[in-house]
Amino acid sequence: MKKRLSAILSLLLVFGLIFALSGCSSSSSSSTSNSKEIVFWNPFTGPDGKNMQNMIDAYNKTKPEYKVKNISLKEADMYAKIPTVVNSGKNIPDLTIVHAERIKQFVAQGMLTPYDGYLSDFPEIKAENYIKAGWDIGDLDGKRYSVPLDVHSYVMYYNKKLVEKYAPHALDDNIVTFDEIRAAGEQSMKDGIRPITLSWMKPIFLSIYNQMGGDITSDGEKPTLYTDTAVKAMEFIKSFVDDKLTNKDGEDATQLFKSGKVIFEPEGIWMQNTMNEVKNLDWGLTNFPQISTDKVVNWSSSHQFVLFNSKARDKKKTEGVVKFIDWVRQNSIYWAEAGQNPAALATLENDKYQSLPQSFLIKDPNEQKTLKIFDYKYNGYVADEIDKIGFDSIFGKIKIEDALKKSQKTIEDKIAQDSHK
Amino acid sequence: MMNTQLNEVTVSPTLVKKPVKKRHWNLSPYLYIGPHLILFLIFFLAPTIYGIYISFTNWDLVNKADFVGLANYKEILFNHESTFYDQLHTGLFNTFKFVLFTVPACVVVPLLLAAGLHAKPVGKNIFQALFYAPTLISVSAVMIIWSMLFNVTYGPITSYFHTETNWVGVQPYAWITLVIVTVWWCIGGNMVIYQAALNGISKDLYEAASIDGAGSIQKFFKITLPSMKNQLLYRIVITTVAQFNVYGQPLMLTKGGPTSTTTVLLMYIRGNAFGTGQSIAGIASAMAVILGLCIMVVAAIQFFFLRERN
Repeated sequence: MKKRLSAILSLLLVFGLIFALSGCSSSSSSSTSNSKEIVFWNPFTGPDGKNMQNMIDAYNKTKPEYKVKNISLKEADMYAKIPTVVNSGKNIPDLTIVHAERIKQFVAQGMLTPYDGYLSDFPEIKAENYIKAGWDIGDLDGKRYSVPLDVHSYVMYYNKKLVEKYAPHALDDNIVTFDEIRAAGEQSMKDGIRPITLSWMKPIFLSIYNQMGGDITSDGEKPTLYTDTAVKAMEFIKSFVDDKLTNKDGEDATQLFKSGKVIFEPEGIWMQNTMNEVKNLDWGLTNFPQISTDKVVNWSSSHQFVLFNSKARDKKKTEGVVKFIDWVRQNSIYWAEAGQNPAALATLENDKYQSLPQSFLIKDPNEQKTLKIFDYKYNGYVADEIDKIGFDSIFGKIKIEDALKKSQKTIEDKIAQDSHK
Repeated sequence: MMNTQLNEVTVSPTLVKKPVKKRHWNLSPYLYIGPHLILFLIFFLAPTIYGIYISFTNWDLVNKADFVGLANYKEILFNHESTFYDQLHTGLFNTFKFVLFTVPACVVVPLLLAAGLHAKPVGKNIFQALFYAPTLISVSAVMIIWSMLFNVTYGPITSYFHTETNWVGVQPYAWITLVIVTVWWCIGGNMVIYQAALNGISKDLYEAASIDGAGSIQKFFKITLPSMKNQLLYRIVITTVAQFNVYGQPLMLTKGGPTSTTTVLLMYIRGNAFGTGQSIAGIASAMAVILGLCIMVVAAIQFFFLRERN
């Protein structure tokens, strides 16, 4: 009798545990058609996450019919989760932030709901009110698939004291050329100060490649990474390594800049808070270095609001989503405080924004024209390859021609596997 | 001699009284393994079978999977022109290298430490805790710590030993750092198993050997090791399987470099399935199946050579 009792109790315990575990499924990302909540996925888990939370709190304080629930996921996790969630049809987020370069891919896979039909109630969400580079991204197949939140660029930080000492006139036109950097280097290297350091090869290579007239695709379908111009661009960057004007293999570019040993460091506008951590570092922001002032290119990307197909998001809720996006258009100063350049041009009317360093890219319409987003459909494959071969190429571990040829082949082989061409 | 038959018939009086049940099914073992078995089925077996199915398809994780039969396997095993053929062969080659470099150290070093601790030196518990602690740290934290230690600009190893070596950017130092970090991290797991095994060896054996005049090295090889055979075999197989599945160390420490010489197969698999561009899940699954088969073959070989011979 005792044995049987204990057997029954253990059986109950086992099943109790199983059901408890199955009930463990997180309800934080669930969204039913009855809830008055907009589930909002975004990849802002870094310091800018706080600014996004502030913006959402401010919106929710206006007591909208549909409140926004902020869910920040690590970028890699978010992009890995999206196909699973869209496939399963359950717990699809009502609104998501994705990078601009991924949108063509999502549209080709039939995952996005267009905004057309919902914008008539919000006439201010239009081309004239947004940065062109950001707005154009969402225009595909004659439909509007995304609305931009921001345009973030890879530009250049400079050490004000060192610029005064070694390159006092480089910033007169706010465009520092590579020749000016070399000239500064001739003086500064005598004192052990490097003129430039290289932290992330992808935007550096792409900007210089584009400055030289190249692009990662000729027709939007085929990749063009193995070209004479690409080899030239890579060799151009390598020349700084060979002439010992930049960081050596293994050295940390940003660490060197923060220690005051570098005059110019190309980096993203999103790195401002990191730079501010260092006391006694008087830094400024300017355009990415250019080969000539004729063609100025600042590699940029953009965070965009998209709607993944979801049966749970009915017409009224979608209107609630677009209402939030329209509110963001008028209140993007919260996002600018994260070091970002909001895509909504209304932000320019804000004095605080005018005083932020990154706003120089938006204040001048000519600067806006320099923002280049590489939104080729297979951009992801290209990005992975450049990240793989970038540093190996400039540090002489592989021959540049061989590396680019192999990368081109890899990208073509991967594209060949894509059966939905 | 004829009595041997009778011995089996001798029964205790009490048993004769109880009625003999035809089928006595004991439920309790199933209750003990039940929870784990259910989790195993849901989170291991079912995904494995599904993964094998995916390897016969062309799938981007979003739309319907197209059945393509053995096309993926033909691509990665026989198409010399293909990038994926390159990836499989480079990845497998580097994975095998990693296993060869780390498994012997991961098996032998903890054994020596366990033997040392078994001699109960002063401060045994402190040392035991120190040796075991790394196992508790997650792979990401371990890689961050060691990246900083080996950092060329501000790492302590470069500063205190005044080396010019680029630890993670140049071979053979990249392999050396990977092996050092992996062995440091894995010591604890094997060590505690060995300690348990050592505690189970009867002291009489050692006394008898001492009387016969055996030295400590002889005792180690003739008594200790054979008595631990089962545990050693178990740890060798488990360690090998674990090192075949290496992913975090080369990803975070050497980033697969320099020039893909430390890119292991799992990195290619994950890059294909969850890279920045469209997913190529079919090829990734096929590579994963090949990796699984390799592990099974290696484990089978190990079992064959290290089994108990009767």
